[in-house]
Amino acid sequence: MTIVARVILSGPQTTVQDAGRGGMRHLGVPLSGAADQISLALSNAALGNPWDAPALECTLGGLVLEFTEQTEFALGGAEMTAALNDTPLSLYDPISVSAGDRLKLGQARVGMRCYIAIAGGIAGSDFLGSVSTHLPARLGGVDGRALSAGDHIIAGSLQIGQTVDVPTYLRTTMSHDWFLRTLPGPEYENFSDEARRCLFSQNFSADRRGDRMGIRLSGKTIEPPDLPPMKSSAVFPGTIQCPPDGAPFLLLSDAQTLGGYPRIAQLIDADLPLAGQIRPGDRVWFLETTTEAARQITMQRMAYIDATLPGFKFA
Amino acid sequence: MSNTNDFEFMRFGERGWLATCMRDFDDVTSGLFVNAIADAVRPKNGITDAIAGIDSIAIRFDNTQLDANDALKLLKDATKKTAAPNDTQPPDKTIEIPVLYGGDAGPDLESVCAQTKLTTDQLINKHASPPYRVITVGFAPGFAYMGPLDKALQIPRLATPRARVAAGSVAIAGGFTGVYALPSPGGWNIIGRTPVPLFDAARPSPFLFKPGTAVQFRPIDETEFQELSKQTP
Repeated sequence: MTIVARVILSGPQTTVQDAGRGGMRHLGVPLSGAADQISLALSNAALGNPWDAPALECTLGGLVLEFTEQTEFALGGAEMTAALNDTPLSLYDPISVSAGDRLKLGQARVGMRCYIAIAGGIAGSDFLGSVSTHLPARLGGVDGRALSAGDHIIAGSLQIGQTVDVPTYLRTTMSHDWFLRTLPGPEYENFSDEARRCLFSQNFSADRRGDRMGIRLSGKTIEPPDLPPMKSSAVFPGTIQCPPDGAPFLLLSDAQTLGGYPRIAQLIDADLPLAGQIRPGDRVWFLETTTEAARQITMQRMAYIDATLPGFKFA
Repeated sequence: MSNTNDFEFMRFGERGWLATCMRDFDDVTSGLFVNAIADAVRPKNGITDAIAGIDSIAIRFDNTQLDANDALKLLKDATKKTAAPNDTQPPDKTIEIPVLYGGDAGPDLESVCAQTKLTTDQLINKHASPPYRVITVGFAPGFAYMGPLDKALQIPRLATPRARVAAGSVAIAGGFTGVYALPSPGGWNIIGRTPVPLFDAARPSPFLFKPGTAVQFRPIDETEFQELSKQTP
């Protein structure tokens, strides 16, 4: 067990995340994992780590680490100022460090989540095959909680392969304006024409109340369909639910497994990583597409991704 | 054997299908039926998730391995091959859940009594007497939807959900009773609390409840609650 770094400042919320615990929703266990899986994967690829190696996910920046061993790390995700002992760093570059070196992340300027990948990955408590931290159930990571000052980062022992020169076109494009493509959700037909127009003809504002479970969106409210109360049924990351208050709720990686609110739409796979970078106050537009078009987009996207991230799958 | 006409099938995202049961089953029968279907389809090649709700099954498939139509066929086959449970025979084993009703443990007990026009004793008796079955699990790790709930106890969810419900909270809403395994936000009416840990990631079997588990609530007093809490670290 090698301690590779020590947390000096944790920022607002820093957790250990990998690709999540897929296939466990029937047990009530959410996916968790990096909210922006592309940024996680590319940060890892820059070091030659497997794309789904556990890394640190730091919300809005503010993390300060002191390395205690010689290693390499790479940054990805949200646009931020970052420095190693006051030398500015760029994203997706492998950086060699020795004991005593300090990594300091400034505030994220655009985007919500930064990723810090470390060569060989990061060790954490495993639950159902993943070390992703799920705060509500205290699973994974460091005792299932967010990092705090004084915590130790334990190096993982994953096989390191070829490092990858991370192409710009694969990166999650950071913005304060997010255009997200959707498919109709199971209750889409139950909403009135007016309610559907309302979802697709305005820009919503991401609420302050937003965490890894989901983002509440404010705007002109969406009238819920005139249905008897729904029986709880499956929801996923990327599902857009419409609660009775009319403010749509976009679910993210920690999404609960069952929900009782009408599901008006579902994000296409390729746009889910974008949703993980929406920060409070950002503007969000939803666009309608078709299953066939979504399939084409995903296939084309995967063709580009495959060369850089072999084995990558959308969560 | 059931008939595919008993289900409505819908596409749910790029990699998903949803089957909703259109038969007029009670929630226990319906929940056990959809769980049996989900169990039948989950192990199939290319199926990555099969999640049972109360009256629905959602599947997700790996679209690099499986065509959407082939995935739908697997789901339809599972609905055809699974018999609707016509006799929900309880299993041999019943899990007893001790519950401290009312007070700080059950902050909504008084309001539930007012809405149902029952005295505290009547309410506790009606809630703790009948055996329940776990209809489905989900929402959060360890949360179980149980039923059937006595008609006299069926009231809507809270108008405004609580930001935080304590772990072990025993609650009712609509035709269900349930126990919050973890501290979480929640909109159900909380009538009591159990000291028994329902979910513990460190246990060899982390989950206490599975769909179909038989459950009996047992009213306890504050002293017993404290004693039982000490036994469970």
